[in-house]
Amino acid sequence: MRSISALAVLAVACSAPLAAQSLDSLTVRFAGFTTVSGYEQQVTDSLMMLFPRATRDRLGDVSVTLGSGSPRRLVACPLDEVGYAVGGITSEGYLTLHRTGRPSVIRFRDSSRVVNPLFDQQLEGQRVTVFGVLGSLPGVVGVRSVHLTRGRPTSDAPFTADDAYVDIGAQSAAEAASLGARMLSPVALAKHPIRYGDDLAAPAVGRHAACAALAAALLSHPKVSGSVVASFTVQGLQGGNPGFSSVVALRGPFAETLTASLPVKYRETAAETVMMTDVQALEERLVKWIGGAK
Amino acid sequence: MKRVLIPLVLLAASAAHAQSTTAEADSILARLIPAYGVSGSEGPVREIVKSLLPSWARTETDTAGNLWLRVGSGGTPVVYVAHLDEIGFRVDSIRDDGSLVVRQQGGFFLSLFEGKPALVHTPKGDVPGVFPPRDSLPADPLALTHQPERLRVDVGTSTRAATEALGVTAGSTVTSPKSYQRLAGTRATGRSFDDRVGDASLILAVRHLDRSRLTHEVIFLWSTREETGLFGAGAAARSLGTAPARVYAIDTFVSSDAPLDPKNFADQPIGQGAVVRALDNSSVTPPALVDSVLAIASARHIPMQVGTTNGGNDGSMFVPFGVADVAMGWPLRYSHSPAEVIDLKDVATLADIIQATAEVW
Repeated sequence: MRSISALAVLAVACSAPLAAQSLDSLTVRFAGFTTVSGYEQQVTDSLMMLFPRATRDRLGDVSVTLGSGSPRRLVACPLDEVGYAVGGITSEGYLTLHRTGRPSVIRFRDSSRVVNPLFDQQLEGQRVTVFGVLGSLPGVVGVRSVHLTRGRPTSDAPFTADDAYVDIGAQSAAEAASLGARMLSPVALAKHPIRYGDDLAAPAVGRHAACAALAAALLSHPKVSGSVVASFTVQGLQGGNPGFSSVVALRGPFAETLTASLPVKYRETAAETVMMTDVQALEERLVKWIGGAK
Repeated sequence: MKRVLIPLVLLAASAAHAQSTTAEADSILARLIPAYGVSGSEGPVREIVKSLLPSWARTETDTAGNLWLRVGSGGTPVVYVAHLDEIGFRVDSIRDDGSLVVRQQGGFFLSLFEGKPALVHTPKGDVPGVFPPRDSLPADPLALTHQPERLRVDVGTSTRAATEALGVTAGSTVTSPKSYQRLAGTRATGRSFDDRVGDASLILAVRHLDRSRLTHEVIFLWSTREETGLFGAGAAARSLGTAPARVYAIDTFVSSDAPLDPKNFADQPIGQGAVVRALDNSSVTPPALVDSVLAIASARHIPMQVGTTNGGNDGSMFVPFGVADVAMGWPLRYSHSPAEVIDLKDVATLADIIQATAEVW
């Protein structure tokens, strides 16, 4: 019920006149989205309502076609973010996690390459949202009580997804299930985008703000040169970028492709930050590109 | 028939009382948790505590910032103390690039704030920002540590002057945004349950107290700067000297009822009632006094646990004056983190045992 309400609110907001959907508010709204890689459906449902002429392919990519004829071009923005799916439920009612999507790879001096070893540590002791079958559930990821570590030897190794137990207040596996938590329920850090200075911070804000810029460009009814397919793609953080590949396979070939992206600081943290002036500039660039500019 | 009915009626009344106190605890915590009060800057929390007390309560604030409420008269006084402050940071200096050098206030894992939103508290209002992640990773992957060496704060400015224009100065306190959130059943999460739950329990006890039953003065004290060295309680203890018979430190019982904590001690589960914190790192409650608490709890049908845990408590500052410290708390998961978890039933039982001991002991 709660997820339906949230969706309804989003739909109402998104169907409001564009004047009421400034780029600024649209960007903050997109920054609050949760799009765990492979589990983007709730947000793609909203996009289908925002763009009534959009179509959705079997993987979930949402595409809008503008104009007609040649050249046929593609502009895409990857919607998804690295997140987690419930991998198990313990007899005490805790949820365990399996990461989905790949964080960036770090290269060390000894030539070893590992997935950002601090990525999962962001979960430690933080609030998360579990997208269960009955709606979204608030929860927290447990952390050792600092008091109880005193006088005891402790490891200084980073926290990993294997250390993450999600506490939703359930006291048994049956209670967790009765609340709607299931195997594969998507889980992500709770989203509360914050504005500071001219900046906007939220987990995965770079990808989401770029999608907001694309949405704003489409909503501005831009002049179109030839035909342009604008796609909000899914599973961009899975091996082989299957969402994007699917769009190319199903709707291509394209004479030219452009992926909407933004510079960010504090990448892949809950403090990932974009400058709102950069979002504005991206929207303007996308409008011009759709109109045929290089 | 009567033999069956009377216990059933008592049981129903007890359940109704527990449910009503749990709901009251929920509404009090919903007010207390959103207030920010890093050690030494507890003013906003103190004002909310005052607003939640009954209209008859006449409070005083001492020069250390402690809030006092004296109830009853005569006899040897007893003191109940819970602290107002929470962990956080204080601005040490502002760098040329506008970012803030901060100093930790209280004990916690810095990693819990790395790469997370920040909030700087100034007289002009709260200034949002972020705690940037560490600048670089070590060359050797095995040298990578769980904890960052230090944290700073970025408030979205690029010069010292721009940061100062926001009202930020050396000494400003820094936290991260927080809120009170109910979980399943009677469970809830929020940052600073330590010791807002103690504050809430004192408020509940004062509200429900039968003042006509008091045979001596009872002092309710909401103290300052516990997290950085029990300073507020120290000032109160010095002012009362040897007068009190007992001090009840009402503070967190850090529980190992959590997936990552060893269970060798502190394994008092949440949801099973308040806890006599009989032994911690700062004090030992005389065993006879532990027994007295349990006897009172039993007489009033209050579920009560006994445990040992780590940490210090405000009551220990009274012990050098010959005042016995009876520390009591509620079990808490994930202490000093943004994810602290409680069971509201424990808050209700803690308030009940405070009220009961004040009225009959």
